[in-house]
Amino acid sequence: MDNVYKPDLMEVTNVRQQTPDVKSMSLRFLDPGRARNFSFQVGQFGIFSAFGYGESTFNICSSSNWKDHIEICFRKVGRVTEALWRTEEKDVVGFRGPYGNGYPMEAWKGRDLIFLGGGIAMPPIRCAVWYALENRADYGDITVVYGARTVADLVFLNELDEWAKSERVRIIRCVDPSGETPGWKGEIGFVPHVFERAQVAAKDPVVLVIGPPIMIKNTLPILDKMGVKPASVYTSIENRMKCGIGKCGRCNVGPLYLCKEGPVLTMEQLQRLPADY
Amino acid sequence: MSTAAEFEPKIVAYVCNWCTYLGADLAGTARLEYPPNVRIIRLPCTGRIDFNLIIKALEVGADGVLVSGCHPGDCHYTSGNYHARRRWILFRELLNALGIDLRRIRFTWISAAEGRKWQGVVTEFTEQTRALGPYKELYAAGPVPNVPAPETATTEVRSFAAETELRATCRKLLAEGTVKVVIGYGARGPVVVTRPEDADRLVWNNHCYSNLTAYLKRKEIKALGKAAVIVKPCDEKSLVVLETESQFQRQDAQVIGMACEGVGQPKCAHCTARTPRFADVTFGKAAGPEPQGSPSPDRFAALMAMPSEERMAFWTEEFNRCVKCYACRQVCPMCYCERCIVDKNRPLAIDPAPSTKGNFAWQIARAFHLAGRCVGCGECSRACPAGIDLALLNISLRIAVQENFGHEAGVDPKAEPVIGSYALQDKEDFIG
Amino acid sequence: MSEIISQAALRALATEWISAGKNVAGPARVKPDLVLYRPLRSGNDLLLEGYQRPSNSIKEFLFPKSEKLYGYKIRGNSIELTENDTPLAAQVVIAARPCDAAALPVLDHVFNWDFHDEFYNRRRAATTVVTLACIGYDENCFCTSVGLDPGSDRGSDAILFELGNRQYEVRCTTEKGRALFGGKTQKSDLTGRSATGPEKRFDSQVVREFVGTHFEDPFWKEHALTCIGCGTCAFSCPACHCFDIVDAGPAAGNERVKTWDSCQFSMFTAHASGHNPRVVQAARQRQRILHKFVIYPEKFGEILCTGCGNCTRNCPVGLGVLSVVSEINHG
Repeated sequence: MDNVYKPDLMEVTNVRQQTPDVKSMSLRFLDPGRARNFSFQVGQFGIFSAFGYGESTFNICSSSNWKDHIEICFRKVGRVTEALWRTEEKDVVGFRGPYGNGYPMEAWKGRDLIFLGGGIAMPPIRCAVWYALENRADYGDITVVYGARTVADLVFLNELDEWAKSERVRIIRCVDPSGETPGWKGEIGFVPHVFERAQVAAKDPVVLVIGPPIMIKNTLPILDKMGVKPASVYTSIENRMKCGIGKCGRCNVGPLYLCKEGPVLTMEQLQRLPADY
Repeated sequence: MSTAAEFEPKIVAYVCNWCTYLGADLAGTARLEYPPNVRIIRLPCTGRIDFNLIIKALEVGADGVLVSGCHPGDCHYTSGNYHARRRWILFRELLNALGIDLRRIRFTWISAAEGRKWQGVVTEFTEQTRALGPYKELYAAGPVPNVPAPETATTEVRSFAAETELRATCRKLLAEGTVKVVIGYGARGPVVVTRPEDADRLVWNNHCYSNLTAYLKRKEIKALGKAAVIVKPCDEKSLVVLETESQFQRQDAQVIGMACEGVGQPKCAHCTARTPRFADVTFGKAAGPEPQGSPSPDRFAALMAMPSEERMAFWTEEFNRCVKCYACRQVCPMCYCERCIVDKNRPLAIDPAPSTKGNFAWQIARAFHLAGRCVGCGECSRACPAGIDLALLNISLRIAVQENFGHEAGVDPKAEPVIGSYALQDKEDFIG
Repeated sequence: MSEIISQAALRALATEWISAGKNVAGPARVKPDLVLYRPLRSGNDLLLEGYQRPSNSIKEFLFPKSEKLYGYKIRGNSIELTENDTPLAAQVVIAARPCDAAALPVLDHVFNWDFHDEFYNRRRAATTVVTLACIGYDENCFCTSVGLDPGSDRGSDAILFELGNRQYEVRCTTEKGRALFGGKTQKSDLTGRSATGPEKRFDSQVVREFVGTHFEDPFWKEHALTCIGCGTCAFSCPACHCFDIVDAGPAAGNERVKTWDSCQFSMFTAHASGHNPRVVQAARQRQRILHKFVIYPEKFGEILCTGCGNCTRNCPVGLGVLSVVSEINHG
């Protein structure tokens, strides 16, 4: 019987602790056949299993150009993430996916890209940035504004340094006021304000903004002043998920099922949806 | 002629760290031999042993459970074992009513100096369990005995006197702003009235089944402001318990008591009062003199007269119909936890699936959490869409609490809660 | 010319199906005042009169309340997944109501939306539905308001119409139905009847328009005040299908299980972070009506409700779909 709920088995190959409560890990399929025929679009997500504990939904935060493994990055916040936190290299976890609609990287070709993210929102941005850098000629200027509450809460910091080395890439890091450490060389302030101060000169950019609702709410007026239309502003919405395939009736925002018609939405779409997330 | 390999019983032993565990350790250092069938789980104190742990050991395949701690008076934490003893008295009654084989659960006091007693208890219990065989009968289906069912409700609606008076009073309370909301009965079920002109939606008749005190815990109701709640005398007992547990303050609400003409079977089977005792205002006329004594336990007596395997078959058949809708919990005024134990997953104490085991785990947990608190309003039974005889399950503990501690929930506002208190003379004839 | 069968012959036929190894389910009296669809041990258990409809629905025979998806064996670092390969016996649901049978084609959509749920599909394929048309209705029935009627054969493989004096006309509508009744009926010139009614209690188009455009309306809050947030309505409903995937670990046998869930539970949409988009009962009640009358029709062209009235009959506090919807639109 073709069992859509049955996960693929993956082995943990590399665990990195990003912050006191955030880890990232690399996973590879145990079945080489599955590894060969697997592909995904950046922005899609997977449902990952800790056997004995349950499943949890994470964005696949690696570039789709990386063929031998995928990566996830998660905060330890509940039963399943605590179990995943305890995994070590060679442990086996489960994976169902890729689910969701992914970023329209094809449609974004030729455009300047602006990425705005807060805290644990960096992983779903990271995959898109790596993808764009790996297809550098397809995209215009790239700007990343990434902030967290404190320095200790910033993830993938070393990769931000890598990105800054590429052409026409501007990386701005920030922490909330009082979140800085002595010797902090980045900006201080909330992401929307830091972004505004940065005076990014972009022609008709695509903006991907991911973060807590308050951050998004404060970013929209700034984008509006810049002349960026809601149809060019993208976000990725989180909601509690279980099946990931549109059947369990849990993740809908009004009539839109995030697992099938999301989680990547434009602001134009989001503004037409009820406040159900 | 060789026989099949002899059955090796699996025994789980929950022992306290300070007495029994050291006693077992002493048995070890003294080289006293005893069967290796026991798996020891060490806890700080018997008072820490959740009843759920005992039943869970049987669920995951243990054939016997041993529970042991310090002698009364010797508890490292002073009174932990007294609390444990009280819980065990009641938990055994519940398990017995369910048809669970009590011979497979042994309670004992073993001190740190009693290595030899540990040896003796474990040896004897292992051999006894070996003779009983594997515990295959746990939650086993079987021919279902005929347990007398509760009487059924009437469909004809009969209005009671005092409906007009009730509406007038509620209209006034709302108009004057004494309360912001009246929780009462309407034509098809409970109504929440916030405007004086809507007081005419309130009814008082023989279909006023709900225990409206269950609404006091809901945050949407609390957000409306000071409430008036209409209570029948049976429902009013819930307020007494809620007050004892600091969930309800008399000055924060208006209690409108209704002397009751009876809403009929099956609810009235457990009637113990026809007039509310502590209401702010009372209306209506009682159906007759106040009932004497505790509620009739006839159906329970019929259940307990059966052999335990038949009781087990009865409850397995009942609980197999459970769909985990939690209507029983939602209608119960005593189930006011903001997050119920079955909704918690760190740890996952109760299997949330509506499987046989998951259903037993839930029903046992809820019944025991109500020990000494259930007032017998019968709402859980009425609400259950699968017709599970929850009233009968809760009666077992109401009777146990009455017989062992002379306690009846909701009667005396000054009575100590049964679980959470203890007496030095609590019985221990079942403890070895 | 019609085909008819006596009640005695129908019961004998059911007993025959059971002896042949089929799982047969139908209405049975469980308690003096409770009729449920249950697996039958013989045709004599089958209850054919004296009730409006059972308190549960037939969905549990296609979408069980608890179904093992797969098991897992943990040995050190290695995991082995085991399938739920229990062979499925053929299944007959007998004396289903039209409002139960009609829910099956409705559920087919979601269980096959791009991804195919073979747990459901397998059982659906293995099940023959024999419907008993209704000769009456009560104040909670509203099938005619959602495009059905007491004699509808939608979702049925065969439908029985009462002829009076314990006889039924049998109309087989699919091969499966004909396979069950072929050669087991007599010819007759009688035709059976079903109730005409109930009157339409509301206009579902009006409801859809209101619900789709009044997300923030205070109506929801007022209406939901007495809802206690249990799962009775969802679990009694022939069309509700929301589920949870549960992993209760070694203590529960190392399995992943699909179980019924309800959008009325307070934790249904709660995030691990603590955020809950539907933190008040009003939002949850609104979701139920929205899903049934707006979202499902938009996606699949069907109302996710067959007007059976179980939600109202079973609700401990007298609510239900009809009570909300009739406040939006009186028939």
